[in-house]
Amino acid sequence: MTLEDLRRMLADCAGEGDTVGIQDDISDTPFTDLGYDSLALLETIARIERDFGVALPEDLVATLDTPRSLLAEVQKASVSVD
Amino acid sequence: MSAHRAEPLPVALLLPGQGAQHRGMAAELYGQEAVFTAVLDEFFEYMGEEGCALRDEWLADPPDLVIDDASRAQPLLFATGYALGRSLESRGIRPAALLGHSVGELAAAALAGVFGLRDAAMLMRERTAATVEVPAGGMLAAAASVDELRPYLDSDAGVNSVVVGARNGPRQTVLAGAEPHLSSVERLLRHHGVSCRRVAARQPFHSPAMAHAVRRFERAFSTIEMRPPSVPIWSTATGARLRGEQATDPAFWAWQLATPVQFWPALDAMLTSRDFLLAETGPGQGLSMLARLHPRVRQGHCEVVPLLPSGADGALRTYRAAVTRMKQNNP
Repeated sequence: MTLEDLRRMLADCAGEGDTVGIQDDISDTPFTDLGYDSLALLETIARIERDFGVALPEDLVATLDTPRSLLAEVQKASVSVD
Repeated sequence: MSAHRAEPLPVALLLPGQGAQHRGMAAELYGQEAVFTAVLDEFFEYMGEEGCALRDEWLADPPDLVIDDASRAQPLLFATGYALGRSLESRGIRPAALLGHSVGELAAAALAGVFGLRDAAMLMRERTAATVEVPAGGMLAAAASVDELRPYLDSDAGVNSVVVGARNGPRQTVLAGAEPHLSSVERLLRHHGVSCRRVAARQPFHSPAMAHAVRRFERAFSTIEMRPPSVPIWSTATGARLRGEQATDPAFWAWQLATPVQFWPALDAMLTSRDFLLAETGPGQGLSMLARLHPRVRQGHCEVVPLLPSGADGALRTYRAAVTRMKQNNP
């Protein structure tokens, strides 16, 4: 899963559809600044499990502050599956 | 982030409602911010014995109250929002628009002079008394659109039906209703993989179950003098500008208790009309987060400034930094 995949998922969660979303690099932007609360993140990790087969525990949501931190957790979890 | 703009952005206050409350909310400002303190003292005094008890519970360290119960959350959300609005005015920050979520809309009305503070305190007492008579229930936030949730809603349960209680964002919807129906719907949603979470509320606000409270609340409004708003209000009851004849209609305010909060439609209509600096004027940063989903904010035309932090700690520091930012926007 790439940052682009995550950006697309976050845009879906926001219901952005065809409208223009954030164009800048958001890897280190806090989720709260992007408008994503813990419920939006819960939904995002549910999507990640559906689309990428990587399961993340729900209580991880409280510790995630930026897209970069989420991607790091996904990568860690995918490696341990092998 | 501070953008350098040719023209200052007009200010719109976003006033939060049920769900935003937390223990010790805004308490750091009490005794430190003169206007905030004076306005709150006046409100508590107008509420009589109930007001004294409420203030003592709110300020106790640790805070000694069941904050989520409507009898505490509603008057405190109203009063802290209203007092913050007056505090901003005393710093020369005057809003060009107001938008209130649920009880926050009453704070907006009071700030716009629809009714005075003494009458507002009476209304909040009546709101609490009316709510006590309502069936037990709650509210459930779901990461889904209204269309996605429709198949799970059951309109056969009559006054206890689970309905859309708030449209907060394109895929941010709050359901509301009496128990055990709300819990049944929650189980069904989880079973189908819809992410959801309970809102901190013990009463089924913005659902037909509130019908019990509407009549009593309407009677309270019919005893007071009301005026059209002196500041434009974008109504979350209608998703549009509040008209004078609505603002002075007791039935309009009473039914606001039982009908969905159209937060996203109202915000969208407001930001389509023009760009604003959006100041969340009340506890927490829930409305700020929702506003950051809006294209005009995303694209940098509008700015979001929460006045308070997510929790009780650091409220004074956050408030003063927010005021500084707002003065930079419009010296």
